[in-house]
Amino acid sequence: MGLEQYKGDMEMCCRCSACKWIPLQKVSGQQFANACPSISRYNFHSYSGGGRLNIGAAALKNGDNYTDKLLDIVYNCQMCGACGVSCNYAMDMEVMAPITEFRIKCVADGKTHPALDAAIANLRKTGSIVPAKGKRGAWAAGLKLKDAAKEKVEVLLYVGDLTSHDPKLHKLARATAKILQKAGVDFGIAGDAETSTGGQAYEMGYQEDFLTQARKNMDYVKQSGIKTVVTASPHAYQAFKVLYDKFKLRGDLKVYHISEYIQLLLSEGRLKPNHRIDLAVTYHDPCHLGRLGEPWQHWEGKKVPGDRFVFDPPKVYRRGTHGTYAAPRDVINSIPGVKLTEMTRIKEYAWCCGAGGGVNASNPEFSQWTARERIAEAETTGAEAIVTACPWCENNFNAAIEAAGSRLKVFDLVELFEQAIA
Amino acid sequence: MTMSKDVYAEFEAIVGPEFICADPAIMPSYHNTAHAAVILPENTAQVQAIIRLCNKHKVRFRPVCTGWTGRFEPGMLYMDLRRMNRIIEINEKNMYAVVEPYVISAQLQAELMKRGLHMNVKGAGTNCSAMLRGHGHLDQSTSGDDRNHLAIEWVTPAGDIVRSGSLGSADEWFSGDGPGPSLRSILTSAVPPGATPGVFTKAAMKIYHWPGPTKFPVVGASPNYQLSEVPPNMMARYYSFPSVDQMWQAELKLGEAEIAFELMGFNIAMVAANISTSNEEEEETFKRLSKEIQGPGFFIIIAGNSAADFAYKKRVLNQIVSDNNGKSVTSLEDPRIEGILLCQCIRISASIRETFRPGGMFKSIPVMGQRDLTIKWAIGAGKAKEPLIAKGLIVDDGGAAFGWGVEQGHLGKTEIFCKFDPHNAEAQKAVDAWHFEQSDRAFKERYFALLGYRNEPNATEEIGQALSSYHKWWNEIQKAFDPNRVSPEGGALV
Repeated sequence: MGLEQYKGDMEMCCRCSACKWIPLQKVSGQQFANACPSISRYNFHSYSGGGRLNIGAAALKNGDNYTDKLLDIVYNCQMCGACGVSCNYAMDMEVMAPITEFRIKCVADGKTHPALDAAIANLRKTGSIVPAKGKRGAWAAGLKLKDAAKEKVEVLLYVGDLTSHDPKLHKLARATAKILQKAGVDFGIAGDAETSTGGQAYEMGYQEDFLTQARKNMDYVKQSGIKTVVTASPHAYQAFKVLYDKFKLRGDLKVYHISEYIQLLLSEGRLKPNHRIDLAVTYHDPCHLGRLGEPWQHWEGKKVPGDRFVFDPPKVYRRGTHGTYAAPRDVINSIPGVKLTEMTRIKEYAWCCGAGGGVNASNPEFSQWTARERIAEAETTGAEAIVTACPWCENNFNAAIEAAGSRLKVFDLVELFEQAIA
Repeated sequence: MTMSKDVYAEFEAIVGPEFICADPAIMPSYHNTAHAAVILPENTAQVQAIIRLCNKHKVRFRPVCTGWTGRFEPGMLYMDLRRMNRIIEINEKNMYAVVEPYVISAQLQAELMKRGLHMNVKGAGTNCSAMLRGHGHLDQSTSGDDRNHLAIEWVTPAGDIVRSGSLGSADEWFSGDGPGPSLRSILTSAVPPGATPGVFTKAAMKIYHWPGPTKFPVVGASPNYQLSEVPPNMMARYYSFPSVDQMWQAELKLGEAEIAFELMGFNIAMVAANISTSNEEEEETFKRLSKEIQGPGFFIIIAGNSAADFAYKKRVLNQIVSDNNGKSVTSLEDPRIEGILLCQCIRISASIRETFRPGGMFKSIPVMGQRDLTIKWAIGAGKAKEPLIAKGLIVDDGGAAFGWGVEQGHLGKTEIFCKFDPHNAEAQKAVDAWHFEQSDRAFKERYFALLGYRNEPNATEEIGQALSSYHKWWNEIQKAFDPNRVSPEGGALV
């Protein structure tokens, strides 16, 4: 069905511009009222969530009309989902789904972006969406972790492409592993056998590559008898939990972000952060852990004929309500001495770090522009550090901070938490 | 009409290549119209340069803010004012704020609340320009329409910059009428066709005292936002009455008593829409609430400056409601619902949930005038909706209208609309017919006169004659200000 199935949704767009702003009752002044990086940077309405739906509806009605400008619009979007949250406060219609389908259609029609083609070529060759540097499991050297393929384990620690292949981020994987070790969790890793979830390929528009990766990962999970996956990568979290479920590949597999798992371990008394860390921080919600991490809603039905846009059976929309917001905050607040001050745009209406949707590869300038906006917002809280829970966010913020000459530090919450329990 | 490369290059030289586009790919997002180009000026100087170029090449243009509404002729230059988004000044001492066109009401309102101040928010919603002329929920305490415009910076259709009122003589924004040139009747579009030609590049708006908190304590996740507590000395209620006349008398007395922070003549279907998070929930809520009312009603917010002031206002409210046999809808007194309504009606100005969500479209007949007269017309317009509801062509709202008194309440806004699915041809046809018939009835029965509902060439002439031949004067004014007819449709500051 592709884009066709969202014809009614796209035609529902009333061009109210709510998609450009955070939910209106959350607007706290002139600053930091924008929700969508794309329209904020490029200004033409076509770059907004609503504008994208207008373009999609026109494509269905009038046929394809690919131009360079159209592809510029399509690929300059982090697919962060903020537009959908703001729209769905008031409207009953799908927003992110048709925007994603339009990208998939572009790729299917051969209208791709060269930088994303390169990333996908790399994925097909190495199993990683980022260039592979050395062995994938090198980060685990000396930790004596179990190989999940060889030993039966309760939990698979999935690390992800970026953390595995960026030596600067190995510390995140090591901190995550040490936290699990400290709590006595029976876990293992896939090591060099780990392969990309394909989640990023999906949001870049390469659905078939995503499905290939998804099947590989679920075959590994089944063959290893794994019942639970824990990851510190929100992209992997969203792929396993949401996208695999969307395509009915996940089965009964339980998926936790490390923040959720720490929250569980804290509640069971298996971890106790005792070491004080005197630090004023603010927290950045990664899109794929927050609004995009909301569970998938399976639904099949038909529009009820008549005056209203309603369906039989009733359709449940993913409005950002059930993303993972509390767990990372609980983990941060469990650390003695850490003082958390919130930014203006948080939780379901958080501003994106800029790295998503392949934008960090296709348009690094826009990716960094978006990150700088977030750093500026973080600085207004008076925090010494911005804490996130995603390696992509951490990398993007570090680059923006360096370029801006900001004094802000960046931490992943596993880094702080691991110090607190060390 | 396509724009030649040379002309395009001249426009491009004003704003830079990043801020002009004629690519067909963007046109679906600009009202599905083949504009000559879309251009995004950054400041008054660029607006002036663009308009002068429009005059030189006889290119028609239309300035637009967020662009919620509007029908456009192909071939015009679409001036998207998005980059003009600065709050220039908030003058607390003299109680005005100066804004550019793309500052939305939600932004200005939030800045004002921090300072204990407030503003008139238009019914279109806080997602729209703060500069918009119009009416909204707060008209009783902040007045409405052009009365909130003070000095204005206006680029005329000929490309001249006019600074009205005090701005014209003293570089001050505090007055729209002087010392300096007063062009109130032209700049405010108080006469049809309803939109001043040219571009408002900055406007000073009156601001008002705000008795509420600096920030509403909004908790929960979208779409289930609510207030952690109803702010002190604030109350929201919905009262229904046995008859339209009793509702109107209560509305009038409340206006005279000057106790309402907001008096919004919602029908109960609109209340249901605002407190519901989906279409299905809205339908159920409407059915439930319909059983709790005794007739037409209104929504009111009381806000006291102190506990004593609040107690006084409540006493007056209770007395007036009681004198007119009004009854509170008690299920809406639940503090959770009360908080939602406070936030919806003050911070969002309702709007999207109650208009577009059900079917995707609504068609409206709004009128400003003598409230008792327009209410009488609206009763007939509501009855005329009933067959459409029965056939399932429009959303069931009980055939109700809505409206509110402005200032002391005799003058007011009355509006009635049909919500429907625009892709249902039968529904569209039925709604169009209803719209025509009720607009025509309003004119023929001398309730009020609207333009735009008739297509016949002599329609303006006939309606204009009934309105002191305003149209002849307006044509003369347009010729004087817009000699090359480059701004024939005026602006659209939504």
